[in-house]
Formats: sequence, C-alpha cells, structure tokens
Amino acid sequence: MPTLPTTRHDNNQLPVTQQIVSVMWPSFLTASVATIIFFTLFDPTELAMIGGFPNLTRTGGYTIGFFCFWLLTSVSCALTCYFRRPTNLRKPDEAPPQS
Amino acid sequence: MSQTAAKDNQAPIEQELYKKREKIYPREVHGVFAALRLLAMAALLGFYYGMPWINWDDRQAILFDLPARKFYIFGLTFWPQDFFYLSMLLIIAAFSLFLFTALAGRLWCGYACPQTVWTEIYMWIERKIEGGSRKQKKRDQGPRDASFFRIKLAKHSAWLLFSLWTGLTFVGYFTPIRELWGSGLTWNLGPWETFWIFFYGFATYGNAGFMREQVCIYMCPYARFQSVMFDHDTLIISYDEQRGDPRGSRKRGTPSSSVGLGDCIDCGLCVQVCPVGIDIRDGLQYQCIGCAACIDVCDDIMDKMGYPRGLVKYTTENALQGKPTKTIRPRLLVYVSVLTFVSAALVYALWTRIPLEVDILRDRNVLYTETDEGLVQNVYNLKIINMDDQLHRYSLSVSGLEGLRVIGQTEDIEIVSGAVADLPLRVEIDPFALKSTSSEIMFHIESTVTPEIAIEERARFLGPVMR
Repeated sequence: MPTLPTTRHDNNQLPVTQQIVSVMWPSFLTASVATIIFFTLFDPTELAMIGGFPNLTRTGGYTIGFFCFWLLTSVSCALTCYFRRPTNLRKPDEAPPQS
Repeated sequence: MSQTAAKDNQAPIEQELYKKREKIYPREVHGVFAALRLLAMAALLGFYYGMPWINWDDRQAILFDLPARKFYIFGLTFWPQDFFYLSMLLIIAAFSLFLFTALAGRLWCGYACPQTVWTEIYMWIERKIEGGSRKQKKRDQGPRDASFFRIKLAKHSAWLLFSLWTGLTFVGYFTPIRELWGSGLTWNLGPWETFWIFFYGFATYGNAGFMREQVCIYMCPYARFQSVMFDHDTLIISYDEQRGDPRGSRKRGTPSSSVGLGDCIDCGLCVQVCPVGIDIRDGLQYQCIGCAACIDVCDDIMDKMGYPRGLVKYTTENALQGKPTKTIRPRLLVYVSVLTFVSAALVYALWTRIPLEVDILRDRNVLYTETDEGLVQNVYNLKIINMDDQLHRYSLSVSGLEGLRVIGQTEDIEIVSGAVADLPLRVEIDPFALKSTSSEIMFHIESTVTPEIAIEERARFLGPVMR
C-alpha cells in the first residue's frame, strides 16, 4: 500500500520571514480593497455613534477600520498557511513507516 | 566568464528574506531608454509631489477629502454615491494595463510602476552620497570605520527625509496639504495624520531603500500573472543569441568573423546594470522588469566595437524565430474595443451627470392616514443632496396621480454646496382617485438657479381602494 512521503521536517515549508510576508502582504492588499468598498457604503462616524464612540473622527474611523480588516484578512491568511501543513508530521527521531 | 560577471555586481549575502539575497549594485546607465525612464520618473514624481499644491477655485485641485467624504477632482465633486465612476475608472485602468502588456510587455514595470520609480530615485540619492556602484560595493566590503558610518548616516538621513516628505504628500491628498504643512511645521499634526505620514513614509523607505527588486520578484501579483497577457508578438527585451554567440573578448575593432566569435564580447555590462540582477542572455525571465538598461549599455558597447546596435533589443518571440510580427491581433482588438466602450461610457456619464441626489424614505410606521376632510395622506422623508459646488434653491412637485397635493415646503428649498437637507413631506389625495392600493408617484426636484439640474425620483403611494 502506498504511503505519503515521510517528512522529518516538512521540506516544503517556507522560511519564517517569507511565511510572515505571505500572510501580511496578501491580507494587506485585500484589506485595502475591503476598506475602500466598506467605507464607500458606510460612514465611519455613524458607525462610531452606534458603537458608542461619539468622539471618533472620520480619519480615525478609517484607520481603525483598515486595521480591523487587515487583522481579519491576516488571520484568514495565517490559518490557510497553518492548515496547508501536512498533518502527518513526524518527530525527527521517529522511524519512517514500513510500506 | 559570464558567471564571474554575474557575481561582479553582487555583494556577500546581506539578509535572508526570500532566498539568500545578495545586494544588487546596479551600475548607472546612460542612453535612449535611460533618458526615457528618467523622463517618466520626473513626470510621475513631479505629478505626485506637485499636484497637491495646485489649486482650483480656492481649493486643492485634487483632494480626496475623506474626513468630509467628498472627492474633489478639478471642477468635479464626487460623493460616495458616485462609486460607480470609480469602478469604471478601475476597469479602464485594468484594461489599459492589459493592452500595454500585450503590446509592449512590461512597460508598466520598467517605466511607470511606483516601485520602480521610487527605487530609481532612492538609488539616485544613494549614488549622489555613496558614489557609483563599485564604490558602494567596496565600502560595504571594507572596514566599518568612521567614514563608513558617516556616509551611511548621511544616506539614511536623506532617505528618511525624502520618505517623510513622501508620506506627507500622500496624506496631503486626503487632508489639505497647505494646512498639513503648516501644522507639521508647528508640530500640531493630528494623531491619525501623523500615523499615516510615518506609516507611508516608512513603507516607502523600506520598499525603495531595501526591498527593491524583491518586491517585483516575490510580492507583486502583476509580475506573477502578466505572462498570461504575453504572446509571441509581444515586445520583449531579448539578447540575439544567434548573433551574439559564441561569446568572447577581443580587441576593439576586430570583426567577429575573423576571431570565430559572435558579436557578444562578454563584457558583462548587461548584468552589471540590471536592477534585478539577472543575465538577459539566459533568455526571457520572469524577474525581468523590462527597464531596458541592458539595451542602453550594450548599444554603447556595440558602438565602441564598431558593430551594429541591437544585440540586446526590444523584439518579439516571432521576430527572434524569423517569423513576421503581427502588431494587430484579436486580443488587442478586444482590449481596445472594451477600453473605447468603457471610456466613452464614462465620459458620457460624467457629461450628463446631474449633481443632485434625492433619496425618498416612506414613513415606515403607518401605511397611510386619513385626514378629517377624508383625504388619504402618506408621509415621506426626502434627503436631498446638493452635489454641485454652489448653493442651489430647489422647487419640488409631485405627479403621477390626479389631484395630488403636497403639504410642506415645496419652493425655495435652499441647500448649500455639499449639504444634505432633510425634508419631511406629506402628500394627500382624494381616495376616489386611487386605482390600486399601491400607486406609483413621481417627485420632481429642480434647481431654480439652473433648471438643467433636475431629477425625478419614483415613490409608492399607499391607500385604500374605494370601489
């Protein structure tokens, strides 16, 4: 029976810096688009009033909105990055399975 | 030989961001395309830094006034409701990019992309302070003495100042730049403005000072998908292998045939000038941003050797294979026709745009009420937005049913430029004039100053049916 290749350390993993960039950068791009569309439809001051922050300026609202979007999109990018790791990771000292 | 040349302009490993990156020290180039690139850079940077300072009718000509949710572009004022125009503009931009890519390859990357343009200006600053590429490399490999740190400090200070100016200009597109400059000089900037100036400035410093070609190679989505717009008739920068190989050095003025070599003298200059650090002679590579620096430098060498120019040149894959190049092809025609259509639609839409918007909200609590005189009454709330840049007085009328009467202000509704007026209105009618429980009525709003500014808005009138 064929088995999946053993991975001592997952050789397909990107270096850490590159992983960080591949999470932060695409999420930055999508967050920018989301911010533009969202705030075209909704006025941040009105949202701030509902949310109980009557003193928030629009510029502040846009900024916070953008970073909230960036947080969300980066979470989803990070999860993708995390879940694409194979689940059959072995400990380095473990013997490869017999096929 | 070519491999030593490839290493020639690279320093020891600097940092490990993607692959082990070796800092590229591109040599300065002069020539036709370098001049074109300089021209594009001057025009684009001039536009970017200069535009916010240009005024139009007492205000900034281009101002995306986010705090007021209004976009000013010369005489026009756009509102969030005008998102439609922005989306059309984006379609036009996308198709122009497709068209130019199919036609002439990575023109955008080589001449107009902000990443390229800012990298160029940052490299220019670097060269002014640190000297040419050889000097820079020697210094980086040399001792860390006082002069090393002095020069690096000078360079980074210049870069940082330029970055801050860039950040300030960026924010100046959203907050009036004259006020911004004034409050910047007196340390009175708002917290958000300060944040964005530093954020954008820092991004520029990082991208143009350090990341450079790595942004193009690893991070740019366009660089990854632009190849699908390429075909065999797209202009690419290519080395003429048939003419150039076998490569080898020889004395100036020696005809290639007499030494049994091709025209390439293997001087390695095309590699030394390359901002992304590739060897164009290895064929078409996705890292190539099409800046044409190698063409300029090779033409120069060809002139010195007395060989014809164009060993490295703009050509097409078809031309390289000796086939004819077709400039006009179906994909271009599709791009051009979509572009023409959308641009015409945008111009038409802008031309016929009426700077007035009305939203009609029916009172949701009651469907209708009956008055003492036995009339049926509906309550509406009108939001009238004057999107023009001057004050208007509007008059209002209602039609659609026989004998409609409006109670409320219908004349001299005065709204200053850019303001929204809330106008509660009651509309009443004799119930016997109603033909169904829900009828369509029309509100007409017209400016008394400029009658061309007039719109009609549909609404429903609810009531009982009496027969």
